[in-house]
Amino acid sequence: MDAVMKSLLKWAFLIALALFFLLPMLAMARFAFQSVPVVLLTPETLFTGWSIDPIVESFTNPQALSAARTSIMLAALTILLNLVLLIPLAVVTEIKAPRLRPYLTAVTLLPWVVPPIALVVGVAATFRTGAPWFLASVYSLVPFYALWAMPFTYRALDAGLRAISARTLFEAARSMGASMPVIVFRVLLPNMTASIVAASALTAAMVLGEFAFASLLLKETLPTFLVNYQRSDARNGLALALVILLVTAVGIAAVVRVLRRRGLNVQTTGI
Amino acid sequence: MARMSRETRTGLYVAVPFALFIGLFLLYPTGAIIYSAFTPGDQLSLDGILRSLSGTYRQGFINSTVLAVTTALIGGVIGMLLAVVMRSLERPRWLHSSLDSWSAVASQLGGVPLAFAFIAAIGTQGLLTKVFAQVGININDLGVSPTGFWGLVIVYLYFQIPLMFLVSLPAINGLRRTWREAAAIMGASGARYWVRVGIPILTPAALGGMLLLFVNSFAAYATAYVLNPGGALVPLQIRFLLQGNVISGEEDLGYAIVTWVIGILMASLFLLTWLQRRTLRWTQS
Amino acid sequence: MAAVEMTGISKSFGPSVALEDFSVAIESGELVCLLGPSGCGKTTALRILAGFERADAGNVSVAGEDISTVPVERRDFGMVFQDYSLFPNLTTRQNIDFGLKAHKVPATKRVETVDRMLAITALEDQADKFPHQMSGGQKQRVALARAIATSPRVLLLDEPLSALDAKVRESLRDEIRRLQREIGVTTVFVTHDQHEALAISDRVGVMSKGRLEQIAPPRELYEQPANPFVAAFIGSINRVPATGADDGRWLVLGRFVHGSVDAQPQESGTVGVRPEEISLDPATDGQASVEDMSFLGPVTRVTVSMGRQDAHGSNEPAQAILADLMSADCGHLSIGDPVRVRLRDDVTRVVVMEGAHA
Repeated sequence: MDAVMKSLLKWAFLIALALFFLLPMLAMARFAFQSVPVVLLTPETLFTGWSIDPIVESFTNPQALSAARTSIMLAALTILLNLVLLIPLAVVTEIKAPRLRPYLTAVTLLPWVVPPIALVVGVAATFRTGAPWFLASVYSLVPFYALWAMPFTYRALDAGLRAISARTLFEAARSMGASMPVIVFRVLLPNMTASIVAASALTAAMVLGEFAFASLLLKETLPTFLVNYQRSDARNGLALALVILLVTAVGIAAVVRVLRRRGLNVQTTGI
Repeated sequence: MARMSRETRTGLYVAVPFALFIGLFLLYPTGAIIYSAFTPGDQLSLDGILRSLSGTYRQGFINSTVLAVTTALIGGVIGMLLAVVMRSLERPRWLHSSLDSWSAVASQLGGVPLAFAFIAAIGTQGLLTKVFAQVGININDLGVSPTGFWGLVIVYLYFQIPLMFLVSLPAINGLRRTWREAAAIMGASGARYWVRVGIPILTPAALGGMLLLFVNSFAAYATAYVLNPGGALVPLQIRFLLQGNVISGEEDLGYAIVTWVIGILMASLFLLTWLQRRTLRWTQS
Repeated sequence: MAAVEMTGISKSFGPSVALEDFSVAIESGELVCLLGPSGCGKTTALRILAGFERADAGNVSVAGEDISTVPVERRDFGMVFQDYSLFPNLTTRQNIDFGLKAHKVPATKRVETVDRMLAITALEDQADKFPHQMSGGQKQRVALARAIATSPRVLLLDEPLSALDAKVRESLRDEIRRLQREIGVTTVFVTHDQHEALAISDRVGVMSKGRLEQIAPPRELYEQPANPFVAAFIGSINRVPATGADDGRWLVLGRFVHGSVDAQPQESGTVGVRPEEISLDPATDGQASVEDMSFLGPVTRVTVSMGRQDAHGSNEPAQAILADLMSADCGHLSIGDPVRVRLRDDVTRVVVMEGAHA
């Protein structure tokens, strides 16, 4: 009896949480795809007025496309910049100076102390007066996005290096006469694909969702466009938001699943 | 100058760009703000720092802190409980893998789309508002609306609970089954085990997780902005000061607020890493 | 009446059968090892005895009282786990005290008991340390002290030594035995290490595929294995072809000896011969030759390759026979020497592995 009660309680808790997570998404989907206002919603009208036009319309909106292109470019450049900066750093630290690792872990956590809403004030105060040309392009966002992706990117790379015991691999390759570039490109990097993919997926998700910095520096990216779009055309805005949510969700979920299957435990929280 | 060894040179090649990058894009802007915050009107003084804790700004800090603490506590408890429940359920298997993936997604979801979802659910024209109205409950009047405090709490919980679940998983999985068994065979009830062993072991991890949730909520901007741009929360006030800095002297006030935010987050993250080290020591012994 | 009795225990996990009609009776104060390869059901047997698992069939009794349905907390047992399982947030003293508190022992008595436990396990200087500050051997001693502090009716040890390195393992093994004798607690010890089992136990139960193959004192187990599985599992054994004789004896390596099974031998069969039951004579014919020799201290293990002929007289691949000789006696041998393999004169009985009429 006691065990039955316990298991009932557990399932009630899980189902309540599932509802909490599902209902807002369903409400959003209904709002986007059903043209019946909520006050007129009755059992009779429940199945009327459904259409996927909002998706079609938002996808053919030229501004939406250009915002999406901008965001995707930003994501790609951010990933690239982070990998170029952090891979050599992580590799050299692991192989040559492992005792520096704790310090580096601490330093790479620094960006989280200064959230976008705080850093943007500093950027406005310094770059806007000192180097206004720098903030003119939308791609000036890249270094800052790279900063916020740094904590989890570095941790993923570091974990990857340790998982393949990079130092042993390095020494083995060295003893066979391989040069440094050969070791890095032929031995280490191919073994680190999993961590690189994980870090890149999370970075992409972060960039595709970042709003504060872009909005306050008046750049049009997908999230800032979305807010304006929703004000002018609520249903299309929500439809687009739903699509972005789904794409991000499916992307992250796929990466997590693939990595788990390969036996790699991915820390998606970055801490 | 003595000749550098090859190793030192390799070290410099990778360290210098990294240091320059951090220095230029993070430390320089941040340092400039903190410096300005302590030198309002180009004179060393604590005026700005103190003024930023008065009047509406004081209210902003109070609101943000209360919101962050509330969502950290509720999200922390529910997220941890979820991890404990999931650990005790061996089957169904699919539930474990899908919840893991889903949490990875949902913990990243704070932002514009999430705010839209809740407007559609609990806004004045929301689906759930309507459903509850059918049974005679006006949830918006009860403070559950996207602009109200509890509404905001509920929206934040959407990403706080999964985040806590993910952060507390390692600690929960670190609870060995044999600890529970050892306690039982020594004659201890389940309650005694939890009071004396389970809860003390989980406490550092739980506190650490909640601190992360606190930081996460305190600094969150997008969701709050979309739901209620005029709200009295610190991130929204920063935006207001930044975009409306026409009155002279207001910049310094903005810098002071940002300095406080950085101070609060730094203290939290410092405490967090300390707690983490403690958790690690226990789960590895 | 036995102190602990498990009767007709069966347990399956889904389609896999862990225990099948498993029965064992353990006398008061006795130390019994359950020994077997991994997956043989020994751990399941221990967990059912402890109460962590419920058997599908059969019952468990202690001192004649059926405890099959008594929950773990009220069985009044002590247990040591393979992974120590010390509470990481408690000191040595608090770990030992945990069970006493749960048993509602008065405070003064508790302090006294903990001190005594620390003394008999030589842990006085570790009393206020946390588990992460101690070595594996020390941690396992704390676990042992914690398990016996409440004066349990039965002490259970689940592979307590397998996480430790060789040297610590041996000394802790002897310490467990000493303590067990001292306090006279009925003990069940699960291990997959036969040396450990043979060294420490009053009786060893050899298990295979969920069944108890034989339970006997270590010496008897080695010298009179009940069946081919036990013979092969305990120590090393050579499988040697043998021919049945009319008088019920077997012709093994040129000598007639009795078989372990009281049945009429078939015309040909296989018997088990321990390496130390073999002696090697110098020979000139090419029947067998020394293939390898490893010096193990007092004895030298010699691998002999022996040509074989099957029933039809045709040659089969060479068979390797192991012989343990006193090192002092094999100075004349070297690799490649032709030898004659022979059963030592004092051997009168061999284990029949296959080839007897039922």
